[in-house]
Amino acid sequence: MSAPQAQPLVVIDSVVKRYGAETVLDRVSLNVGAGQVMVVIGPSGSGKSTLLRCLAGLEPIQKGRILVEDVVVSKGTEEAGPPPDAAAAGRLRHEVGMVFQSFNLFPHLTVMDNITLAPRRVRGMGKDEAEALAVELLRRVGLEDKRGVHPARLSGGQQQRAAIARALAMRPRIMLFDEVTSALDPELVGEVLKTMRELAEQGMTMLVVTHEMGFARDVADNVVFMDRGAIVERAPPDRIFSEPAEARTRAFLERLLEREGGNRRVR
Amino acid sequence: MGDLQFGQIIGYWPDLVDGILVTIKLSAVSVSLGLVLGLALALARYSGIPWLNWPAYAFIEFFRTTPPLVQIIWLYYGLPALVGGDLNAFWSAAVALGLNIAAFFAEIFRAGIAGIDRTQWQAARVLGLNLGDTLRFVILPQALRNVLPPTGTTVIYLVKGTALATAIGTPELLRVGQLISLETFRPVETLTIVAIAYFVLTYPIALAFQALERRFAVSRT
Ligand SMILES: Nc1ncnc2c1ncn2[C@@H]1O[C@H](COP(=O)(O)OP(=O)(O)OP(=O)(O)O)[C@@H](O)[C@H]1O
Ligand SMILES: [Mg+2]
Repeated sequence: MSAPQAQPLVVIDSVVKRYGAETVLDRVSLNVGAGQVMVVIGPSGSGKSTLLRCLAGLEPIQKGRILVEDVVVSKGTEEAGPPPDAAAAGRLRHEVGMVFQSFNLFPHLTVMDNITLAPRRVRGMGKDEAEALAVELLRRVGLEDKRGVHPARLSGGQQQRAAIARALAMRPRIMLFDEVTSALDPELVGEVLKTMRELAEQGMTMLVVTHEMGFARDVADNVVFMDRGAIVERAPPDRIFSEPAEARTRAFLERLLEREGGNRRVR
Repeated sequence: MGDLQFGQIIGYWPDLVDGILVTIKLSAVSVSLGLVLGLALALARYSGIPWLNWPAYAFIEFFRTTPPLVQIIWLYYGLPALVGGDLNAFWSAAVALGLNIAAFFAEIFRAGIAGIDRTQWQAARVLGLNLGDTLRFVILPQALRNVLPPTGTTVIYLVKGTALATAIGTPELLRVGQLISLETFRPVETLTIVAIAYFVLTYPIALAFQALERRFAVSRT
């Protein structure tokens, strides 16, 4: 799959993120074009989640800038000059949707209310409009019959699909996925990946942290390999999987395939 | 010692009803004050912002660790002496008990809020909900379920605690009982009836909180 390389939707520019003395992101730069699917891989602790969390505005950064649609949404606290315009940054934050590894639907609300809460409170949408939107999104993720149910009654895979619908209800321009299938029973992984594939086919810009190499191979336009807080290599999936340029990438992929080994799932 | 004689005491029922009404009003005012202030204190503590956290911490520890009786007397006699003006017996007791109970509610609520998983805040944040909406629609409804049992216990404790207002002459239930027993020389019968009245006041509260707990337990599954 190829996507227009025009002007990038998201620009991550020399971002430095530290926790105390530990540098977790070390001058990371990455552009994501509109409609692109970028898969981020790398060993545990390499900073993949942190990168997504910075992009979602959950973490302040120390240096560099993050732009969405050419508007600065996040700027290093150690950078000179005024901070980004809060109102504009806030508005563009809503363009970024995120789904986490842990199913963090709101447990006290029905699936319907989970989905309509943010459109109603943040976008000021009316109840009927928000519910119509939710019904449409639930159909898209195959949960149209679960609207009145509380999350505890859903399987892990259904919860993740509901969480995807909830994020989509804010009509984001880019979706971030942080290992959304890692906590699922193996037989439930497929349905969530299918939903993500469909989303990609519909042209959603996506940044996906995953260990599902099948997904990366089929869906990603580019794969980014991160190690120790830095981007080591970025290449289309066929290239990075068959002839990685960096020794560290190769070592990581070999370990990963070895681990998948016997019980590789076919999707 | 003669037999216990309740008939004579029952004759004072209009006074007892007056006392019960004062006790109810006293409880309602201090519980309302305590809930609102307690929530504000809990949020101030939870925020971790030093200039909110530290005053809240000092307030809570002061009111938790000193006797409520002293707080009532201090407010009634001490405050006018210090800053002038005058607080009547009802409002002194209501405010003192409200401040006292706020400290206990604050600790209950803080634990309730802290018990909500961090990822719930993050999920609300990435959806673009502001702090007020996050608390109102996401955090507090979930915390409510966890804080109901200790909150119920604290409310019941407060209703009985209003009896301390007797010390400054607030005409609540125990005070009325004391006056009746002085007139009739029947303290055992009078106080037994007073105790029954407290039970009649507090047991429905216990039942109400149990019903609330059941309701919230069902609605999430
Ligand atoms: N809130 C935090 N406070 C302090 N250090 C943190 C925090 N979050 C992450 N880190 C550290 O930052 C580094 C990168 O963590 P991150 O979660 O981004 O890695 P990751 O690539 O997502 O790993 P995994 O594959 O295990 O999810 C780790 O060393 C981690 O210990
Ligand atoms: Mg991670």
